[in-house]
Amino acid sequence: MLRAIDVPQTTAEALSSLARARDALVIGGGTLVMPKVQAGISGLGALVSLSRLKLDKIAIKGDKVTIGAATTLAAIGEERGLAFLQPAIESVGSPTLRNLATIGGNLFTEQPYGDIAVCLLALDAEATVATKRGMKKLPVAELLKKGIGRDAIVTAIGFKKPEKGTWFYRKAMRRAANSASIVTIAAHCSQSKGRVAKARIALGGCGTKPVLAAKAAAALEGQKLDADAIAKAGALLIQDAAPFTDAYASAWYRARVLPVHFRRAILGE
Amino acid sequence: MPSTIVTLKVNGRAQEFLTRPGTTLLDALRDSLSLTASKKGCAQGTCGTCTVLLDGKPVFACLVPVETVAGRSIETLEGLAAGDVLHPLQESFIALFATQCGFCSSGMIMAAKGLLDRNPDPSRADVVRAISGNVCRCTGYEAIIDAVLDAAAKMKKAAPSRRKAAE
Amino acid sequence: MQDLEQIDTSFFSAEREAELDVVGTTVPRVDARAHVTGKTQFYEDVSFPGMLHLKMARSTRHHALLKKVDTSAAAKVPGFVRALTHKDVPNNWYTILRLIGVEPNDEPVLPEDRVLFAGEQIVAILAETAEAAGEAAAKVKIDYKDLPAVFDVEEALKPGTPAIKPHGKNHFVYEGHHCRRIRFGDVDKAFAQADHVIEHRYQSAPIEHAPTETTGCIVKPEGDGRFTIHSNTQACYFTLDNAALIVGLPFNKLRVKGGTVGGGFGGKVDVIVEPIAILAAMLTQRPVKYAYSREEEMQVSSPRAAERIYIKDGIMKDGRIIARKVTLYVDAGAYSRHSPYGTTKAAAHMPGPYSIPNVWVDAHCVYTNRTPSSAMRGFGVTIGDFALESQMDRIARLLKMDPIELRMLNAYRDGDMKAHRKKAEGCALVEVMQKAAEMTGRNLPERFRKMSSLNKEGV
Repeated sequence: MLRAIDVPQTTAEALSSLARARDALVIGGGTLVMPKVQAGISGLGALVSLSRLKLDKIAIKGDKVTIGAATTLAAIGEERGLAFLQPAIESVGSPTLRNLATIGGNLFTEQPYGDIAVCLLALDAEATVATKRGMKKLPVAELLKKGIGRDAIVTAIGFKKPEKGTWFYRKAMRRAANSASIVTIAAHCSQSKGRVAKARIALGGCGTKPVLAAKAAAALEGQKLDADAIAKAGALLIQDAAPFTDAYASAWYRARVLPVHFRRAILGE
Repeated sequence: MPSTIVTLKVNGRAQEFLTRPGTTLLDALRDSLSLTASKKGCAQGTCGTCTVLLDGKPVFACLVPVETVAGRSIETLEGLAAGDVLHPLQESFIALFATQCGFCSSGMIMAAKGLLDRNPDPSRADVVRAISGNVCRCTGYEAIIDAVLDAAAKMKKAAPSRRKAAE
Repeated sequence: MQDLEQIDTSFFSAEREAELDVVGTTVPRVDARAHVTGKTQFYEDVSFPGMLHLKMARSTRHHALLKKVDTSAAAKVPGFVRALTHKDVPNNWYTILRLIGVEPNDEPVLPEDRVLFAGEQIVAILAETAEAAGEAAAKVKIDYKDLPAVFDVEEALKPGTPAIKPHGKNHFVYEGHHCRRIRFGDVDKAFAQADHVIEHRYQSAPIEHAPTETTGCIVKPEGDGRFTIHSNTQACYFTLDNAALIVGLPFNKLRVKGGTVGGGFGGKVDVIVEPIAILAAMLTQRPVKYAYSREEEMQVSSPRAAERIYIKDGIMKDGRIIARKVTLYVDAGAYSRHSPYGTTKAAAHMPGPYSIPNVWVDAHCVYTNRTPSSAMRGFGVTIGDFALESQMDRIARLLKMDPIELRMLNAYRDGDMKAHRKKAEGCALVEVMQKAAEMTGRNLPERFRKMSSLNKEGV
């Protein structure tokens, strides 16, 4: 049962709130935490809300993007400068959910939810984390693996906007909208002279957290983005993936369709 | 468990009430303010029956701790009609059989209002998208989509005359 | 609405006794205005001062003996009021359909020494808030001794499979028989004469109704020995009568206030939440609310039964079906609820809306350690129809016949004797298919256009 909910005005206050209560949890939009609160998870004593910390600004300077951690997915979806992310945003929940769900919260979602975290991993984004000892930068890849510890707060997420034609996204769902991921593919393939210079591929539905498909990415580098190279890379995706079985799809099915949706993502089929 | 006093602007009126920590906006509306049009179908943010407008945007009231929205503006289905005069969405939901058991209707209408307030001329796809967070087990959705489009058309037709009246 | 306005009155014009004037017109729903203004009062829209919340500690096992149930840790949760076990239930054993003579009482309100399915309610916890009740329920400690569980209907009926039910059999007993049977003509003789014999197996999974409003009730003691039950039951009087028998009160001490249901689809005709909530209100003299969470609705409310159906048909080259043998299994899950009745309906529905001279049906109502199944929209018939009509399409493909013509040829007509010995009346099946063919632009041959439900033309 909850003892308290703090709605601090500053990050410093939020950190000391967290430090005071060992059984406190950070709450952003509430879409992850409140279902747990209402299902009665034991041992949760307090919530520390990010709603008044003004962590909801989007700043775009050239190709450098910084998004406040408590920015809603709806606000990101409406940002013209981030149009490349719109298909990914639209694939998450419903417009009503996206009015609450935040980009920061997405980093702490367990698959098959959290498609924006898949995108951030592919973008090699970096999180700004506030701790008692000050601010630090943490690659999203590392954050997804290790977390941030219970008395720290993600305040912002930064990444470089991909060049036109180098960003690819596809989410396979049971329904056209408002459905969890069967598999999600986000890929950033920078190109030079018609060949892939550098590739970074992230997958959803292939582990409890988004995973990087390093072997498939390496196979794409130096190649033209044609059907042949995509098929070869697609066959390697599974080597970095651990698809699971849940109510949406079986592990077998996820593994089977992963290369198909990868091809569709890259070729825009 | 210390309770706190929370003030909300609900359907245009400031409302003050005492709340226990972690109380959802939905429970506050239903239990503290007796505004029971918004329903609790899942308490998980997946059924949409609790949809209300928060500063004009649809949200799932079951996911919002009420302390975090203190001072903000909430619209519920109870505030939609002006006395006996129904909102066009309400009229269209009746006329086109968009309500059957009625349990999803409050959330559906509020999600639709959130759409029409921002986009008075939605396409069918826009409507589908706007209500994609709301589950209906009776109608099969088509009647609801028709009703929202019908209301939008009625409001568009009425809009010029309303403007004139305002002048 | 366009299609509804074009009622074709040319059929059966001689049979019409009165001018029907509602079909084809638009009649507004009487409840719509209250629905769209939020004024409709669902059961959960009332609340009372001092209301207690009831949550269940539930079985985590499919089939197990209850060795020890310990509520001491639960009792320490702030807000805990009391726990209820089977010992608190005056008449613990019941079955919903006992009201129409179904026996035996095979379900305990709260289990005594064993649980038969995962999710079965064991101990009711009453607390001042829903959160406290939930936390205390999670702290009820239950020691189990697991027993072998059975999940498959045919497995359950095999000799040697341990019986999970007190009457020593894994099936409902129909007047001394192991299943509901229909015998009409001689199928074996007909199979021997048939040009083709085909047999196929069909099966379905359980289907949850998933109403947007979960099952629940609020019971209020009125202070005069009477209790008002605010419920979303689809069956007010099933609930009232069964609950009165369980709690040992005269029927006139209970008043069910129902009728407003946030989606039922058959999922709210069982009597699960009300008896225990009434008992809790009797024992505490406080209002009590027992509402399923969404998870409980999905996990423990009765779904549509899973069915397995074998259909064997004897067919002549010209399309006539001369024999149909159906072996049907309804998975009732752990308790009877409405499944013995659903299985009877399934049997009576065979062999579908067709006049087949030789029919043999064995419809089994089988107990397994799965969530008890019960009513849902045409239960007993829906899955049977899926199987029957799939089979009809397979016959049409086998004979290279038009599937509509195959069905018209075999369709029952007025006066035909059905397999379960009811005379078919007011069939109209032939005419419906004629009209459907016309509306979909299919030109039926003269022979089929001249067919009628009123005579044997064209057979």
